[in-house]
Amino acid sequence: MMNSMNNIIKQIDDVLTITNSEIITNRQFAIDINSGDVHQSLAYLKSIGFTQLSILTCIDLIANNEFQLIYILNNWELGLFVIVRTIIPRDNPAFVTIINIFPGAKYYEREVHEFFGVTFEGNDSYSKPLLLEIWDDIPPLRKDFDPQVYSDSKFPKRDLDKIYRSKIGGVD
Amino acid sequence: MKEVKLFLGPQHPGMHGNYSVHMYVDGDIIKKARPTPGFLHRGFEKLMERRLWMGNLALIPRICVVEPDINEMVYAQGIETLANVEVPEKAHWIRMLILEMARLAIHIMGLGGIGGPTGMYTITYWAIAQRDLILDLFEEITGARVYHMYIVPGGVRKQLPVGILDKVSKLLDELDVKIPEYKELALKHPIIHKRIKDNIMLPADVVWELGVTGIGMRSAIGKEYDLRKVQPYARYDQVEFDVPIANYSDGLTRMNTKYKEIFQSIRILRQVIEKMPKEGEVRTRVSTGSALRWTVPAGMVYSAIESSRGEYGYFIVSDGKEMPYRIAVRGASFPQGLLGIEKYLVGHRIDDASLWMDTMGVCSPEIDR
Repeated sequence: MMNSMNNIIKQIDDVLTITNSEIITNRQFAIDINSGDVHQSLAYLKSIGFTQLSILTCIDLIANNEFQLIYILNNWELGLFVIVRTIIPRDNPAFVTIINIFPGAKYYEREVHEFFGVTFEGNDSYSKPLLLEIWDDIPPLRKDFDPQVYSDSKFPKRDLDKIYRSKIGGVD
Repeated sequence: MKEVKLFLGPQHPGMHGNYSVHMYVDGDIIKKARPTPGFLHRGFEKLMERRLWMGNLALIPRICVVEPDINEMVYAQGIETLANVEVPEKAHWIRMLILEMARLAIHIMGLGGIGGPTGMYTITYWAIAQRDLILDLFEEITGARVYHMYIVPGGVRKQLPVGILDKVSKLLDELDVKIPEYKELALKHPIIHKRIKDNIMLPADVVWELGVTGIGMRSAIGKEYDLRKVQPYARYDQVEFDVPIANYSDGLTRMNTKYKEIFQSIRILRQVIEKMPKEGEVRTRVSTGSALRWTVPAGMVYSAIESSRGEYGYFIVSDGKEMPYRIAVRGASFPQGLLGIEKYLVGHRIDDASLWMDTMGVCSPEIDR
């Protein structure tokens, strides 16, 4: 199994411009790709057997002021997952949709738009929120969104006699 | 002809859980369909970032109500990969016992679910009663009926109670007799044939377009694409079982595939009972110190298993601290529940909408999270 995965990584490395690759388990590896190369890379991966988009999601790397977009593809024939990672800027985050390559990405992109504020050019079904109705704050899965502050501002505070709190890793 | 907007769900006997489809209909025919999730959005992904690695265990089973154990399994499996922990042999077998019992419970409930949209409630009542007998065993093993919190990072929470394997065997013998009656009652019934045979089709190219996995995929493309076979986890590589497949995916084929999978689960469970080590630990420590100070080494992993509805996975990112940095959930029914409804419900009759939801196994809590 490990051998065939190494062969695949080598094959991908020969064709695509990969900035970094990482083996995660014996059935899973990750590749980092510049944001400009994502579409052709995904199209290539689809052509060599990674025919299913398992999930498209996003990570808020607030310390670097970046978002990391994650595309996980599944190769059922070989039983391999590839995690394709790319970095986009966090200020006015925008990217181009992949629904021409993986039509199933439509709703994943809508979700990332709603929860991280990333807009996907070409995927224009944003007129109505998908999961969050009448949301009036910054996108909630960003790291600088604090649910406690939001809830304090929206709902009346309850006066409790005693608040139980445990020390977590030395931090209250 | 003027179009009428019709709301199917969230309160409707044919609707699966708190989900809604807005349909624009012309007479009986659906002209446009809009899936409307969000009734069950509870912000799990944000909540998980603010809970301890251990504390999340009480939270995650609630992501999929009818099949909660898959959440515990993917979560535990992901953490074990990141922390590089080896799970004790016996724990692997106990996990398989739990996962297959959960699959039995949800498949039986899914077979019974066809009674809602077709109006044949007898099978629904049978299925609910049969599932309760499985939940009784879960209660004995884990202490809880629905949300078990039993599969934990590093193994399972505690040893199996004495004599439980005999009780599971007895239940399997009962199911062997009882489940064929479901076929006689429902899957051979002319009214149900009329409703789901050659109807609500899922062609092979649509499978790839949407990203459908599980029974929908296997009954359409005729390949054994089951993660238990393709990427065996736990000890699925040491048991023998078949993956039911078909090349023509109408509603009836999908129900028949589900029916066949029940017997494969029974077959796996019999082998698990036979091969499970009698002695041995069931849990190792993932990290040192109290659970309040547990950390998981930095890294990211996509942990996926085969649920009753297809590939179910967590994408877990750790920054080496006491809480996860990000966890993204791949709900197995996300593709067919959203894009599938929007694109492929069009042209069907109104009453086919709930049959689509049922035979595709759309689970609203895992779409909303």
